[in-house]
Amino acid sequence: MAASVREKQTVALRRMLNFNTPPLKNTAAEPVWKVLIYDRFGQDIISPLLSVKELRDMGITLHLLLHSDRDPIPDVPAIYFLMPTEENIDRICQDLRNQLYESYYLNFISAISRSKLEDIASAALAANVVSQVTKVFDQYLNFITLEDDMFILCHQNKELISYHAINRADLQDTDMEAIMDSIVDSLFCFFVTLGAVPIIRCPRGNAAEMVAVKLDKKLRENLRDARNSLFTGDSMSAGQFSFQRPLFVLADRNMDMATPLHHSWTYQALIHDVLDFHLNRVVMEEGASSEPSPGGARPKKKSKKSYDLTAADKFWQKHKGSPFPEVAESVQEELDSYRAQEDEVKRLKSIMGLEGEDEGAISMLSDNTAKLTSAVSSLPELLEKKRLIDLHTNVATAVLDHIKSRKLDVYFEYEEKLLSKSTLDKSLLDIITDPDAGTPEDKMRLFLIYYITAQQAPSESDLEQYRKALLDAGCDLSPLNYIKQWKAFTKMANPANYGNSGVKPMGLFSRVMNTGSQFVMEGVKNLVLKQHNLPVTRILDNLMEMKSHPETDDYRYFDPKMLRGSESSVPRNKNPFQEAIVFVVGGGNYIEYQNLVDYTKSKPGRKIVYGCSELFSAAQFMKQLSQLGQK
Amino acid sequence: MTCRFVYSGAFREMAVDITLLFKASVKTVKTRNKAIGIGFDSTKDEIFKRSRTKSGFSQRAKEVITNITKLKDFLLQHRKDYISAGSLISSDLTRMTDGERDQIDQDAQIFMRTCSEAIKQLRSEVEKQAAPAQIKEHRGAVLDLVETYLRGVCKVYSEQRAIRVKRMVDKKRLSRLTPERPSRAEKTLEVEPTEEKTREESSEKSSSEVQGSSVSLWEEGRVEDELSPEEIQMFEQENQRLVSEMSSLVDEVRQIEGKVVEISRLQEIFAEKVLQQESEIDNIHQLVVGATENVKEGNEDIREAIKNNAGFRVWILFFLVMCSFSLLFLDWYDS
Repeated sequence: MAASVREKQTVALRRMLNFNTPPLKNTAAEPVWKVLIYDRFGQDIISPLLSVKELRDMGITLHLLLHSDRDPIPDVPAIYFLMPTEENIDRICQDLRNQLYESYYLNFISAISRSKLEDIASAALAANVVSQVTKVFDQYLNFITLEDDMFILCHQNKELISYHAINRADLQDTDMEAIMDSIVDSLFCFFVTLGAVPIIRCPRGNAAEMVAVKLDKKLRENLRDARNSLFTGDSMSAGQFSFQRPLFVLADRNMDMATPLHHSWTYQALIHDVLDFHLNRVVMEEGASSEPSPGGARPKKKSKKSYDLTAADKFWQKHKGSPFPEVAESVQEELDSYRAQEDEVKRLKSIMGLEGEDEGAISMLSDNTAKLTSAVSSLPELLEKKRLIDLHTNVATAVLDHIKSRKLDVYFEYEEKLLSKSTLDKSLLDIITDPDAGTPEDKMRLFLIYYITAQQAPSESDLEQYRKALLDAGCDLSPLNYIKQWKAFTKMANPANYGNSGVKPMGLFSRVMNTGSQFVMEGVKNLVLKQHNLPVTRILDNLMEMKSHPETDDYRYFDPKMLRGSESSVPRNKNPFQEAIVFVVGGGNYIEYQNLVDYTKSKPGRKIVYGCSELFSAAQFMKQLSQLGQK
Repeated sequence: MTCRFVYSGAFREMAVDITLLFKASVKTVKTRNKAIGIGFDSTKDEIFKRSRTKSGFSQRAKEVITNITKLKDFLLQHRKDYISAGSLISSDLTRMTDGERDQIDQDAQIFMRTCSEAIKQLRSEVEKQAAPAQIKEHRGAVLDLVETYLRGVCKVYSEQRAIRVKRMVDKKRLSRLTPERPSRAEKTLEVEPTEEKTREESSEKSSSEVQGSSVSLWEEGRVEDELSPEEIQMFEQENQRLVSEMSSLVDEVRQIEGKVVEISRLQEIFAEKVLQQESEIDNIHQLVVGATENVKEGNEDIREAIKNNAGFRVWILFFLVMCSFSLLFLDWYDS
């Protein structure tokens, strides 16, 4: 997999937008204009990968939602990119009847069934526009890639496959089947795009196993069908010998319930936790300051601003996994270097103003002209840099405000200690009863983590104490019921060992250093994260290195390429894997992702892709837990 | 476990083309409809509708695009000739004169102006027309695309032009005979700045300077700049000097020529005289030979004479001695 999944998906999208022919590299080619029509699924898939400007560059003049009112635009080809659902098909037929566009290129995100195809055919016949339907494609792109090595299954309608949906008490078999089918469909599309057939490993006895069985079956069927196999030999992955097949590890959320509730300290995870962050877009209120408006005055009307955090943003790519104080310092550094460059450009301007007075100007001339050329050409870069610095300043300030108001650093430190089972210096009760340490939600999260990671359940009296304290703080206790159930269910004799982590607060020295920076982090401890492995990472490590560990020994083993499906769980391959894909059924979050990224960095030569059925923040997860607990 | 060893250089086509499947379903539906007995609409309206909407906005936009493409092809075709340096060795066929280059520049500029005006016109029409918002937006975006394309082609053209101007400026700098002076510095500072707008203006300024030059020492292709008065005087002086040198050389040569001619005449005379002397010398030689012989004979005669004389002398001496003896005898006898 030389190219990342994101690149592959982008290439596929570009090809689709170029009428399914590979786009030419010729920059000065004649423009051909087209209209793009998508549904919400298509929109979610395209928006993290291609910006509006890039769409424009490819000749897309208008991009519209399928179910909006669209005017007829004759003599323009239209590219449709949507899921083959009933409503979408109806709308397409309606478009065909109204003859909105000159030619139609239909691209379905996942495979369309024959009957629906016939529906479209009959509508086209009725409107006599069969010749206008130029091409119909199955794109197999039913997943959303957020980062080079992270993907999620869907963003719209994620309630259908959320943790709540999978684990609720009144789940019917048919519902489960439907959920499994949709998950498997997306995973199948993922592997088609990747162009590789993986070796599947999954734990026994939960949703992950069901997914694995189905996926194995689907891959096997497709491989057997030699006529239209999507993995045919002469069109496999680009430019390299694929001796190694990737390892696909399916994990279930129930294995590790503490991580989604954990407070985070890295930049990206914090943004996801604290601000409104979806599909690489942050939506913030502009001018939101922590100062209360003066009494009696009407609060300023706050406008919502949204920022895109893309792959092109170098600062973001470098620092999205760094702990927050580091980010603050780096923003400061970037600002300083930008100011230095700005001064240099201004200085050049004054030099050029001295012409004619300076005898030696001629010899410096070519020097100056070269400098001037470079300054002029670097101006757009500088402006872009300024924009990014502003963006990150705003975002980081907002995050910092939240941290300060909710004392998230205290929570983080405490939770780290809980997870690593090191000694606690403050009692849990103190934190819960502390009125200005965070929202009730934060306290609930902390308590749940304590409950999950405790070796044995706290005694009844302790529990009552905690309950009272929590109720006083205004927390909703229903998640607790569910967690109790869960704990009993899984019978975690060995609760997931979260590994050793040490959290060292850096002392006074660093605080003194930080006061010089723009972000006055007074009272916010500069916490240093030490490397520790979350359960998912550890499982992955064991499986990739073929280490023997009681946790992973009885994982099932599936190889879709084998002629006969075997039920054995003995892996046939003895070599450690170089590439792996981790998928968490039931939802994941950025903390796990960041942990995997750190693990990858420590093991050079490995490539790891993280996926989950949905991406939820702690708040959303809490909501699901409370829903589950109420039943 | 089967391993597939694959080596391919291109990205695969991941999507599946089911157009054929679609067409097959169309056929199925057709046959089904026939079987059920549903009629079709006539196909005539469709053709009419399509032909009606063909002309209009998109047609004109497409025209502008084809024009821009023509310009681009034209520029690229002549690009090699345009850029190539005017070296003396290259054949005349590929070299472009400056006049031709200017022609290309002018044509390209006119063309680009017409295209951008056409785009502006289309844009104002779109504004005026009462069409639904989406169509307006679409057309605006189409015009943006066309404008970007035009800008790309203009960039090609201005790059070419920049290379040409740079080369001219470099030539100017190299062909100057005197060291650079501050007064020149101003002019060059005006010419050099590379900001895009001023580049256009300054390049036009420098090209007009170039065309107004007077002195040309080299062949007609090269350009000379105006010379200051001191330089003219210096040149004149040098000219004078050279002329006088040349003329003196010429005189000397003539003199030498004359002398050579005299020498040759004298030579002739000498030769004549010498020839005359030859015959006399022969006479003398003869005489001398005769004289030598005479002298030899004379020597012989003298030798003989001496001999004779000597012999005579001896006889005389004998006689005398005898006489004396006889006298003495007689004297004794008588006594």
